[in-house]
Amino acid sequence: MTTGIQGWHAHPALLSSYVAGDLDAVAGASIEQHVSRCETCRAAVGQLLEPQVLEQTWTGIRDAVERPALPFPLRLARRCGLSEPTAVLLASAASLRGAWLVGAFLSLSFATLAAYASGGTALAPFLLAAPLAPVLGVAAAYGPRQDPLEALIATAPYGRTRLILLRTIGVLASVLPVTVLLGLAVPGPPWLAAAWLGPALALVPVLLALAGFVGPRTAATVVSLVWSGVVLGSTRAFAPTWPVEAAQQGVYLGLAVAACAVIAIRAGTDRQPGVAL
Amino acid sequence: MSAGTSTVELTGVSKRYGRTRALAGVDIAFDRGVTGLLGPNGAGKTTLLRIVATSIGADSGEVRLLGRDPHRSHADVTAVRRELGYLPQELGYPSDMTAFGFVEYVAVLKEWNDREARSQEVRRVLDAAGLADQASLRISRLSGGQRRRVGLAQALLGDPRLVVLDEPTTGLDPAQRADLRRTLSALGHRSTVLLSTHQTEDVAALCERVVVLAGGTVRFDGAVTDLVATAVGQVWLADEPGDDALVSWRTGTGRHHVVGGVRPVGADLAEPTLEDAYLLMLGPDAQRVHTPS
Repeated sequence: MTTGIQGWHAHPALLSSYVAGDLDAVAGASIEQHVSRCETCRAAVGQLLEPQVLEQTWTGIRDAVERPALPFPLRLARRCGLSEPTAVLLASAASLRGAWLVGAFLSLSFATLAAYASGGTALAPFLLAAPLAPVLGVAAAYGPRQDPLEALIATAPYGRTRLILLRTIGVLASVLPVTVLLGLAVPGPPWLAAAWLGPALALVPVLLALAGFVGPRTAATVVSLVWSGVVLGSTRAFAPTWPVEAAQQGVYLGLAVAACAVIAIRAGTDRQPGVAL
Repeated sequence: MSAGTSTVELTGVSKRYGRTRALAGVDIAFDRGVTGLLGPNGAGKTTLLRIVATSIGADSGEVRLLGRDPHRSHADVTAVRRELGYLPQELGYPSDMTAFGFVEYVAVLKEWNDREARSQEVRRVLDAAGLADQASLRISRLSGGQRRRVGLAQALLGDPRLVVLDEPTTGLDPAQRADLRRTLSALGHRSTVLLSTHQTEDVAALCERVVVLAGGTVRFDGAVTDLVATAVGQVWLADEPGDDALVSWRTGTGRHHVVGGVRPVGADLAEPTLEDAYLLMLGPDAQRVHTPS
């Protein structure tokens, strides 16, 4: 049956009930169908609504469409109390996206597996990979060579140093827990699961201090090569756990303190605040 | 606020990059309105703008921005940066970000912490830059001119009192230039706007005041009409190219537009353009700059 609907218009009272949500499901659906096709009734509904409500709804829709979604790890962190502006800043760091984290997790897993399969005689793969994962993550957080937004970041009130430190903390918070868990699976003395944290936490400030002079890419290469040299070189002459034993941990601590001092001195003496990193 | 009353005051400012002298003892002040920096490549435009944008420090001389010395303390430089909008000459865009996402990211760096207010402001500047319909597009899918306008949009965040735009017209078509003119003239009522370009048409269209830089020094500083007036009596339309002219080129009518030198035989005096005046101002550097159209 096609009885033209052009002649019929919903009674104002009916439209009011529709807007208020008082109609039952069938009547509500019928009015909705009608309103979507009848310009007169649509205009009438528009007048019944508060302009503010319409504006809010429209803003909400634009928000949903235009605002980029946060990557999964950051949505998780938001639930744990990470502030929204901080999440937006972290979302721009390449190394905090899912793909990078999965890559880091996989390479660490393989390193753990290799150490496990050797029965504890070959710890080198794990000791090599575990401290380098956060180092490379921090270096990657700068972006390729340097941040494409370098000039903007350097002149924003938030500050470049603060942004780099925030990203560094973000990388550490996402990589370290996984690595600690994997470390538990590595055969050997129980303290080994935590001992790699020493070089890991020392190499990050060394990287940051070095990056202030030569850029993040070169700094990451230098740090990786030196650390690989230490780990692989020690396998010839010393016990597998040598790179993370107490005496060496003292050296790492010294390095970390020296690197932090370099960063602090540069931050204090540079004529242009915020360029120490 | 102390002594200075201008928004930007540079006194004896010099800057070197290794052996290259970028700025040599520049004294200049800027206030409300749109000022165009004109000059050949290497004249020091970008260096001057970067110093005003707190991106680099001067080697010597005094810099005062919004009544503060940005080198004095972290608090001072941050206070200046809160009222600064800056479009750098070369701005890389993370290609996986959308226009909205990019401007929002910069807004967070500019301490727009409230989500609602930030969204509104991001939309306002995208609308002002004529990008309302491209907000949710990835930057990698935008044209060169649209990308430049995304850069411009972020410089407008928060209606800054000091706006520094390094070559904002690169990649813009004539219609987009007209839009930019409208945006900038509105902005110039409230803010100090500095822009650089090597196109004289841009200055004629966008700026009230023009500063010609060459070799790191200020060659001219004044109203656009005053710069044009310096060329009166030195530009001719002639049947032959002038022998000792600074530059001359054949126009569409078949006659030669002759700038500088002595009056060629049978030449008619012509109304100088801003470009003529600019070329005369540069003198011997002009041949290097001028590309006949």
